This record gives sequence, C-alpha cells and structure tokens, in this order.
Amino acid sequence: MFKAILKTQWQWTRTAVLLAAIAAFTMPLLSMNSNVPTIQPRSFISVMQTWGVGYVVLAATVGLAVAILAWSSDHRGHHVYALTLPVARWRYVLLRFGAGVVFLVPVVAALGAGALLAVTMFPIPQGLHTYPWALTARFGFAALVAFAIFFAISSATARTAGYILGAIAGVIVVQFLADAAGLHWDVVSHAVDLVLAYPGVLSVFSGRWALVDV
Amino acid sequence: MTFAVETQGLRYRAGRNFAMEGVDLHVPTGAIYGFLGPNGAGKTTTIRLILGLLRATGGRIAVLGESMPAARVSVLARVGYVPDRPHVHPSLTVAQSMELHAAFHARWDARWATELKGQFRLADDRRVGSLSKGETGKLMMLLALAQLPELLVLDEPTDGLDPVVRRDVLEALLAYVSDRQASVLISSHLVHELERICDWVGLMDRGALVAELPMREFKSGIKRLYVTGAPALLDDTTPFTVLSRGPANGAAEQWLVRGWTPDMHDHVTSLGATVTDVIDLDLEEGFVELLRSFRDKR
Repeated sequence: MFKAILKTQWQWTRTAVLLAAIAAFTMPLLSMNSNVPTIQPRSFISVMQTWGVGYVVLAATVGLAVAILAWSSDHRGHHVYALTLPVARWRYVLLRFGAGVVFLVPVVAALGAGALLAVTMFPIPQGLHTYPWALTARFGFAALVAFAIFFAISSATARTAGYILGAIAGVIVVQFLADAAGLHWDVVSHAVDLVLAYPGVLSVFSGRWALVDV
Repeated sequence: MTFAVETQGLRYRAGRNFAMEGVDLHVPTGAIYGFLGPNGAGKTTTIRLILGLLRATGGRIAVLGESMPAARVSVLARVGYVPDRPHVHPSLTVAQSMELHAAFHARWDARWATELKGQFRLADDRRVGSLSKGETGKLMMLLALAQLPELLVLDEPTDGLDPVVRRDVLEALLAYVSDRQASVLISSHLVHELERICDWVGLMDRGALVAELPMREFKSGIKRLYVTGAPALLDDTTPFTVLSRGPANGAAEQWLVRGWTPDMHDHVTSLGATVTDVIDLDLEEGFVELLRSFRDKR
C-alpha cells in the first residue's frame, strides 16, 4: 500500500524534489566559492550568515512544496477517490505523510553532500570551523517541521485554512489599530517571537545557519 | 428478502435549498436496481450517504448487512464505485491507476483487469488526464469491476458516453453480474437505458423516494385510463392506486393508475363508471407521470 502511494505521489512531486535537490547541493558550494577572495574571518562569517537565510528559505520552500503536492491530486478530485478506498482515513493520511517525508530525504542528502564537498574543496580562514553535519541535520529538521505544518494545513478544509489566515490577519489588524490609537504595543513582534523564539514551533528556523562559523 | 442496501428514515440537509426527509431505500440482494430521477433529485447525494462520503443527519444505512458509516472500511472493500465525475488521479497513467487501485483492494483480479483493459482498448501508458470521456468511463468501470465487488454503485456511469462506449460498459457490467450474482445500484436519468437492464426501480425527486417497485410491475402496472361517468371519490376497496386524475376530451376523465389489471374493469363498472380506453405507458412516460403526480400532491 505504502509502495503504491510512494510511487504515485512521486509522479507529481518529483520535479519539485529534483529542483530542490539541485538547489540544496549547489548552495553550500556557491556559498564557499563566493568567499574565496575573502580572507578576513569576520567578513567570511558575515557572508556565510547571509547564505544562511538561503538554507532557511529552501527548507521552508521544500516543506511547503512537498506538503501541497502530497494533497494536490486528492484536492483536484474532491477527495472522492481517497474516501472510497477501503482504508481508515487516519491511515491514508499517514501514508501520504510518510511518502512526503521520504521525498525530503534526497533534498537533505543533496545538501549534506554539497556541504561535505564544499568544506573539502574550498579553504577557510584559520580559527574558523566547518559544520556540514550540523547544517544538514538542522536543514532536515526544519524541512520536516515546515512539511508537517503545511501538510496539516493543506489536508484541512478551505474553512480551516481561512481560520489560520484570519488569525494572522487579526494580529496585523490589532497592530494597526494599536498604532492608530497611539498605544506602544508591538503585537506583531510578540507574535513572531512566540513562534520563532525557543521553544516556539518554528524556532528551528531562527538563529545561526552557517556552514562555517567560529 | 435480503437487501444489499437498505436505508431507513434517511435524512440529510445541504443548505436551504435541498433536504432529504426520511428516505427508505431497499436494493434487493442480487438485483440490478435502477435509481431514476431528474437532475438535482438527490440521487448522487443518496449514493454518497450510502458510501459514507457524506454524513446523514438522521436515519439508518446498512450496506451488505453492515452499518454505515461505522463499518466503512470493511464495506468499501466489498463495494465497487463509479462516481458521476472522474475521480482517478489525472497525472497517473492507466497502468499506474490500476496498480494503485490493486494495492488497496485485496480481491483485485489482475488477470481479469488486463482482459478488461484489452476489451476496452485502454493503453497502459496513456495518462488519465488525456483520456477521452468515454475512455475515462471505461477505466473507472474497469477499476470497479476488477476489485470483484459484491455490490456495484454506479452514479450515472454512461452519462455523456457515445452509444458504442455505453454498450461496451453495460455489456461488461451485465457479464460481471451474471457471473458473480453481484448487486447493482445504478443511477441515471436515461430511462430507456435502465429499462433494458434493471429488475428493480426506485424513483427519486426533490429529496424524496417517490416509488420503489420491481421493473416488470412498473412497466406493466402503470396505465392511463379514460373513464366516463367517474365518481367524485373512490372508496377504499379500489384494487388499484390512482396516482392522478384530470379532465380528458369531452365528458371523460383521464386517470393515471398503478396496479391495473384487466379484471378490474368490473370494479370500475360497479362504481357506475366505464373505462373506455386503457393506454400502456412505457417506462419514460410512467416516470414522467409519476413525477408529475408526486409534484402535484406536494
């Protein structure tokens, strides 16, 4: 059953996965290559941190794409096919989720390979250290978190998605009204901190994402 | 008599404009049950309720002796379903669709599926999204049949298909039913098509089951009578059901009746009336007249 789901889901996920794998492989190589003329450790780290944003964006994008694509075909058929299969609904969701997780593996592996190759190929200033395994693990975890969140959202009804968007819009509206009333409330920053700062659900996306650091 | 599908007091509401109130449907085991009704009558909704795709607001549903939706998984393993709109993933090929379907159906007959694929002239490598309407209809029928179901639920399976494809699909269905003694619930508004293949018929309109009876009774029992000297009221002893009555030419009245047999002339005579003509209605006329009388009563 899982094999069949894996095989069919691959049909509409493969392009996104292959593009993401290419991006994940080349990103560490490009980040190091762009640093070759830079010999000052501080400048080196600064450039590496700029590239760090790229890893965050890529992890979120991969998670989003694989999650949306996992459900795209079922959405198109209004879930009629899935709902008439003789399988418990929770089990079907688990099959789709499992297949999505498997498709994250080649992207994470490509990033790992690219990172290992980059630290072998390019010199780094003295006193700095490379973190290819840590970066790969962090990328993998972030992609998994993004996938899980977007998978849950896209598996839900349009009404649920509306509630989530409504909640985000609500925070922005409250901020706007607070500003208009001259109140010094930074609602958006608090909301962002709540989610992004440890132990927030998206805290894996914040902090330092560098292949080379002190 | 046992029933492949049985609903009791089935209730459902979708918005303000559509409601089903107390539908009692009985599909006898081994029968081909034609589910007739105009567009929007509630046929698809009833089918979706039966299969657990929608949740009823009241009533009881039993499919193949098991309660729905509680026994959804075990029931769906024994039911082949062809929906009114294609539900197969459009990006998959024919072969991939069959492979996916086979993985979920333990009783999948791969050899017969291959035979049907040849019979329907479906190429393995064609994408479902690129198939014509007729080919998609054939693929859905193939998937439903090759899982060897005890009950086939077909929602307008031949709607929009050309006569050749329609014949192919119905032939495959009839061959399967005669081989396996399966039960079939087939909805359509193509009355003549059902007339040829069904042995039971249920008529639905505006969320209500108007009539449910054996096809031969339906075909032979619904007549239009021309009656002169008709009494204003009929007593309880009348052995047939008057579905509607209205003026005809001259002094005659036109009655639409169910359950009429020639020996009932005497009963009409005993009421002081005379039946001057008896017209046989075909299924389509009977269907239209039944709906008309039902709507008049409402």
